Amino acid sequence: MTHESAPAPSAWHRLRTVLRNDLHLTSIGFGFTAILLAAMATAAWWAGRMQDEAILKARADWRGTVGRSLARTAETMLADGRLTSVRRLVVETARDADLARCRIILPDGQTIADANPQQITLADLPATWDGAPPAPAPGEEGLLQSFPLVVGDRGQALLQVTGKPDPLGEVYWQTRAGIGAVCVVALVTLMLMHRRFRLTFRGIWAVRQALAAYHDGQRTPSALKVNPDWGVEAQAWNDLLDQTDQAQRQTALARTQETLRLHGRSSSDLSAACDALSQGLILVDANMQALYANSAAAVLLRTRNETIEGTDVGALIQEEHVVAAVREATERPLQRRQIFEVERHDDTSHVLLRFIVRPVRREDSAAVMIVVEDITQQRAAENARNAFVAQATHELRTPLTNIRLYAEMGLDEGQGDPATQANCLSIINQEAGRLDRIVGAILSVAEIEAGSLRLNLDDVRLADLFASLQVDYAAQAREKQIALEFHLPPKLPVIHGDREKVALAIHNLLGNALKYTPDGGSVTVTVDCDEDRFTVAVADTGIGIAEEDCQRVFEKFYRSPDTRVSKIEGSGLGLAIAREVVRLHGGDITVESEPDKGSTFTLTLPVTEGVPVA
Amino acid sequence: MKIAEQECGAVRVLRPEGPLTGKDADELKGHVSRLLDGSMGRCVVDASAIQYADSRGLEVLVEANDEIVRTGHPLKLSGVNETLRQVLELTGLAPQFEFFADVNAAVRSFL
Repeated sequence: MTHESAPAPSAWHRLRTVLRNDLHLTSIGFGFTAILLAAMATAAWWAGRMQDEAILKARADWRGTVGRSLARTAETMLADGRLTSVRRLVVETARDADLARCRIILPDGQTIADANPQQITLADLPATWDGAPPAPAPGEEGLLQSFPLVVGDRGQALLQVTGKPDPLGEVYWQTRAGIGAVCVVALVTLMLMHRRFRLTFRGIWAVRQALAAYHDGQRTPSALKVNPDWGVEAQAWNDLLDQTDQAQRQTALARTQETLRLHGRSSSDLSAACDALSQGLILVDANMQALYANSAAAVLLRTRNETIEGTDVGALIQEEHVVAAVREATERPLQRRQIFEVERHDDTSHVLLRFIVRPVRREDSAAVMIVVEDITQQRAAENARNAFVAQATHELRTPLTNIRLYAEMGLDEGQGDPATQANCLSIINQEAGRLDRIVGAILSVAEIEAGSLRLNLDDVRLADLFASLQVDYAAQAREKQIALEFHLPPKLPVIHGDREKVALAIHNLLGNALKYTPDGGSVTVTVDCDEDRFTVAVADTGIGIAEEDCQRVFEKFYRSPDTRVSKIEGSGLGLAIAREVVRLHGGDITVESEPDKGSTFTLTLPVTEGVPVA
Repeated sequence: MKIAEQECGAVRVLRPEGPLTGKDADELKGHVSRLLDGSMGRCVVDASAIQYADSRGLEVLVEANDEIVRTGHPLKLSGVNETLRQVLELTGLAPQFEFFADVNAAVRSFL
């Protein structure tokens, strides 16, 4: 890049600049005034000089006339020998004509008559004398005028008349000194006025120039400022500029702050919104460095949020194929999003993360957004759903298969054999009932899962409930030779709950106890109640539950891998439903068990306040 | 205070039993913090067996929420009784939490 020098300003431009400067104009005006004053002084001096010369000439003419008259008279009187008269005449003429000197000298230089008698060097007039009177010496012109005298036969003489030093010369010089003094005073006054004028008005003129510059487009306060020493106007102008500048700065500052505030609030709001997401968000630049990450990203990637920004993606994500996809997205911004599911294991957890890598369109450079989702629970739910479907299918298929087989058997082999037919129909009836219970349990589980399981609250008379239980399970216990005992308090409370569902829960516990207790065992039902709680403990001497299975027995469709369990019919839904029902009532079911020794399931329900103990 | 811990899929459910007060509250806080390390926020507090809470109990719930909210999930409380709910409403803390009728509903909210 080359810098071209600015063109030299033209003469017109320079003149225009000068003319626009009031101070220059004033100086020029004062200069012209001084010149005019000098011209007037010169003219006055010239006029005075002319007048003086005219006066001097008139005086010289006058002295010439007097001299010539005196010369003629003196010639006559000297020729007659009347020296005394001549001397008197000379004295009187010198006095009357105001001459400085008037004398008559002979060719030998003797003065025979003089206006000042003491200057007379020859007392008597000689009879004759020789010689010609001396010619006037060079430089004697001016005030000295000589007149040759021819004194009859005696000889020649010379009358010298000398005027007094011209009194006009003094006036002349006084006049010029006066003119000069007036001129000097006028010039000095003019200069002082000029100076005062400049000092007084330079501030105003500077302000005027600043206004003209402002009109021409100059907006920089520093360029519009004037010298503050140039008077109050300049100071006021500078103050005005300062105030205007300050006001503009404050306005600009306020606008900037408002913009920053809005931007900051917008940014803060956006950041807060991103932090509220359960999905992790990471924005990556073209250099594979994280520009932004929300809180969830830090948690999911097991790092600290404040350290993510600026970190290389490879350090955040261990999976090479995901990092490669991010790199590819930065290099090819037009590609579609890519999804990866990654499993991570450590000592305390097993996590399934989904990474969604998608390019982000930006004006300046490529960027990639990585969305991290924790899909562990989704995957667990999917697995549970699949297991549920598989187990439900299996559970439904078993009675259905039996129904189909015994129906075929009844049709094929039961023709004409009523006993076989009756046996087949009985089994079909049992399997249909089993199917109905399984479907009912599945529906209950579905209601629980959907959150639509509702309690029909009413008074539940526990005395009636346990009386019915004793009757219902007595035959089953007798069949398996199990000692079924009920330890009931003298008075059982009336609780507030869903009678059918409470009964279902207790039925499940008691049914399981009888089912998983071998023949000859015992099942004991112990009921306790106080003011707040009602507890049912169902203890059996059955096969027991392994410690690791104690919590899982409440999961839907869970059956212990124990072969003794798998031989016993069951859907694996009973305990799950029972505990859910009890929890809906505000209670809970817990289990304590020891393999091969037996289990104790304890059901606890709150006794609703205000319900009297029956 | 007895605090039962249960897994529902990938969600950890804490079921404290008894009033959430004093040292018991601190015990719950320790459980929540420990759970967060492994569960990445997939945590539910089944409050159905919490009868009431004192100021320390409320403070622990707020601290636990502050810790868990970094994951994008607020603290999920299920089965909160009317007493505890009113205390949370009156103290203005209720909007910080998510409330569910039962544990299943809270667990489903992670899907």
